[in-house]
Amino acid sequence: MSDENPRTPRLSLLPVPGSLAVIWLNLGLSLVIAAIGLGVGFGQDLLPAQQVILFTLLLAVISFLALNYIAVAFEERIAANRAKSDDEHAQDSSRARGLWRENSVLIIAMVALLVLYLLITAGVPSFRSINNLIGFLVLELIFLFAFKVSGYFAAGRSAFIGLIVLFALVIISAFSIEGFLSGANIRAILLFAAFLGIACVGQTLVALMGGLDLSIPYVVGSSNIALLFLITLGVPSYVAFGFVLILGGLVGLLNGVMSYRLQGQALIVTLGSGFAVAGFTQIMTSIGSEYAGNVFGTVPGWLGNLAAMNGKFFGLPVPPTIIIWIVIAIVMITGLRTTAWGRNLYALGGNRRSASLIGVSEFKYWVGCYVLSGIFAALTGSLLLGWSGGAFIGVGDPYLFTTLAAVVIGGTSLLGGKGGYGFTVIGVLVLQVLTSFLLGIGLRYEWQQFIFGLLILPMVALYGRSPHIRATV
Amino acid sequence: MSQSSSSASAYLLVPILLISALTATAVIRGPNLVSVPGLGSAINVAAPLILATYALMVLAVAGRGTVDLAIGPLMAFINVVVVRLATEGWLTSPIATFIVALGLGMMYQFLFALVVIYVRVQPIIVALSGFLALTGINLVILPRPGGIAPPFMADWGAGTSIFSPVLLILAVATAGWYIFTATSFYSNLRMMGYDERAAWTSGVKTDTVRIGAHLIAGIYAGLGAICYTALISSGDPSRGQGVTLTAVTALVLGGVALSGGRGGAASALLGAVSIWLIGYVLATFNFGAIQAFMTQMVYGLILVLSLLLTLLVPLISRYVSFVSPGGAFVVLGIIVTGIMIQVATHGTYTEVGQIAATGDLSEKYFLNAPAQVNLVGPSLSWTQGAALLAGLAILSLVFVARMMDAEAHARRLGLFMYVFILGMVAALFVAVLLESGNLPVGRMP
Repeated sequence: MSDENPRTPRLSLLPVPGSLAVIWLNLGLSLVIAAIGLGVGFGQDLLPAQQVILFTLLLAVISFLALNYIAVAFEERIAANRAKSDDEHAQDSSRARGLWRENSVLIIAMVALLVLYLLITAGVPSFRSINNLIGFLVLELIFLFAFKVSGYFAAGRSAFIGLIVLFALVIISAFSIEGFLSGANIRAILLFAAFLGIACVGQTLVALMGGLDLSIPYVVGSSNIALLFLITLGVPSYVAFGFVLILGGLVGLLNGVMSYRLQGQALIVTLGSGFAVAGFTQIMTSIGSEYAGNVFGTVPGWLGNLAAMNGKFFGLPVPPTIIIWIVIAIVMITGLRTTAWGRNLYALGGNRRSASLIGVSEFKYWVGCYVLSGIFAALTGSLLLGWSGGAFIGVGDPYLFTTLAAVVIGGTSLLGGKGGYGFTVIGVLVLQVLTSFLLGIGLRYEWQQFIFGLLILPMVALYGRSPHIRATV
Repeated sequence: MSQSSSSASAYLLVPILLISALTATAVIRGPNLVSVPGLGSAINVAAPLILATYALMVLAVAGRGTVDLAIGPLMAFINVVVVRLATEGWLTSPIATFIVALGLGMMYQFLFALVVIYVRVQPIIVALSGFLALTGINLVILPRPGGIAPPFMADWGAGTSIFSPVLLILAVATAGWYIFTATSFYSNLRMMGYDERAAWTSGVKTDTVRIGAHLIAGIYAGLGAICYTALISSGDPSRGQGVTLTAVTALVLGGVALSGGRGGAASALLGAVSIWLIGYVLATFNFGAIQAFMTQMVYGLILVLSLLLTLLVPLISRYVSFVSPGGAFVVLGIIVTGIMIQVATHGTYTEVGQIAATGDLSEKYFLNAPAQVNLVGPSLSWTQGAALLAGLAILSLVFVARMMDAEAHARRLGLFMYVFILGMVAALFVAVLLESGNLPVGRMP
């Protein structure tokens, strides 16, 4: 495009850009700025309303003029650029576009964070503190760092992002919540993370095969009441504990066998079987009991010590559940990476056909994953009995979606073949630290749930996107 | 009956068999069902579930394994918003209420579709995210059950007449689906659900079709929420989760493929009514304190079993290809309607009382005297009786002959069938109205 009629500079008192769209854009931008200003002005309660409105109007007009000025300046420069040779021009624009393409997400994210910070600052008076400002700046820095460095971690990008988020959360919480980094709080976070993490073992394995297990919460609740019921019947507690684990494995076996031919609908099959199991256990434990649905009894001491907050591990003030979780995590991570079983699992999740061609039985692995899932769910339920000291069927309910959320946030693909337990550990920690943070700033449970719901989408969108349809044809 | 036409709707066979067995059981065990208040309240209670199942059905047909787990919380969300607005006095007119309800449903589903299309996250994750977010926000909007529904729907939920506005909503929703199936948009939708790549390569604008499917689902969700609000005539933020599970079960029970491409209003309706009937039948047994657990277990088992049954349907339809779903529906429908008429006209039942939960286990859980049927019919003379019997015999002979002929030649039954069914349904209504004493003429002393 050549320009025969280069405009004379119009940097007059009232600059008017050439394009009408730019004028509208400027108008919109200045109105947004003015609105933010209005909010901040009223939020501070320092000036009378008339003055705030006056200043807002002034701000709108000035910013509109300034934006127009900038737009005109850019138009001048573009006009000057057109004079350049085509070669130079192409090089220039591709560099600029490349810069934008590489950093667009970063810029959008940073601007979004800035806007969010400004909005909260304007709206919530108690939010304005130096700690929050520092936290905000640190967060922006972490963003910058994460986006600049994550390119070097192509394989474990989700893990890297998860770690960054975890790091950022810990820093923000430490700044804004008193006593967040105290020993008791960290122990509490780790204990709850351990419960969730053990429940997530099965979900991770099943997800690696491309399935889902929604029966986990019901198995957790059922094993919780079944264990106490067996103990009150007089069964030795160790035997009862083992028996409950076997029962959990049986439920998993049923799930696996039933959903094998219905792999697309594994979600619904396991939901149904979980419901049936929960109903069945409650019927079994409440036949002949006066108080249907409730089991009363005393939890044996060793189980209480295993999971209670003040539990001791060989004299150390750490609940043994945390140690159990760490051991399980190490075994799982190394097992999935090094053993033939683990490698075959990835092979099956990645491509069924080629895996079966090299002689990996899909049925065995599918059912095996579900059995493990049932066993670990039952283990979680039993440990939760030790933690709470009383049986309750609803103890598993929070695990319905948090297990799924932890797996997904960690970065294990629900389509199978990608991810691992290490990722899930990060996801679990992110969820627990976030919960602790939200509790710490005094948010109610329903708001936490709302935020969790909204958080899952962007986390998955960062690395769990499916290909566009035109890429699959 | 030709092979191809039977296998297309062979998935309807299972729900048809199930629903007729369930209706017969329900009517015999709880004869109150066949009366004006019984049917009226049955429609009121089942309507939200049916509409939720419709919404899920549309999404399931659209493919990609879309099961919107958030349908229950979404309906609860619309419910609490409407109730909140009505309690504040901002929402009084029916039109405004419908606009708010349908608008919220469509808006949510539109967002859902946009995320699925442009962010390209699996629908199940979007549904999960929506479930958590909506469950949370519902409790924020209305922390505990309460509030009042818009005043105009005050008498909707009473269930004193069959032809209530709720039935009208249901009829419009169902008819709307059948009108929709006549459009080319519907065939695009089915094609996309069955094989999205094939649809895309053959030039279907899959994005538009997906958005359209979600908007339709949003309309159904809005209508369902209105029926739900009318039913409980207040707001309840926490009952959504249960609705989700029941609606998913109904969807599977009706034979809708969760993998996409197969399903329709008939399937969804049959499934939802079956689920409601299961609950009704279970409620007529006296399980005492474990009633809720029993219901939970039975729902779960039925969900799993009906999923496993869909694996067997191709096998079944190979061996029983001489039975078409239409034929089965007519025959079973006649039998069930006959039972209903019988139950409705013999109006001398003793109310079944609750048996005290003492004694043996079997007595405690399973002994509950069935309805006592009065075998003394209206007094007829010998000639009248013979004439009636002969008439019925001729009628059924003609019917069976026509039926066999039609099935053998893979033809439709034609006008005869519709006249016959209409006659049966009219007889049922007359019987029900007679029973309830709503018909001034011909009231028996």
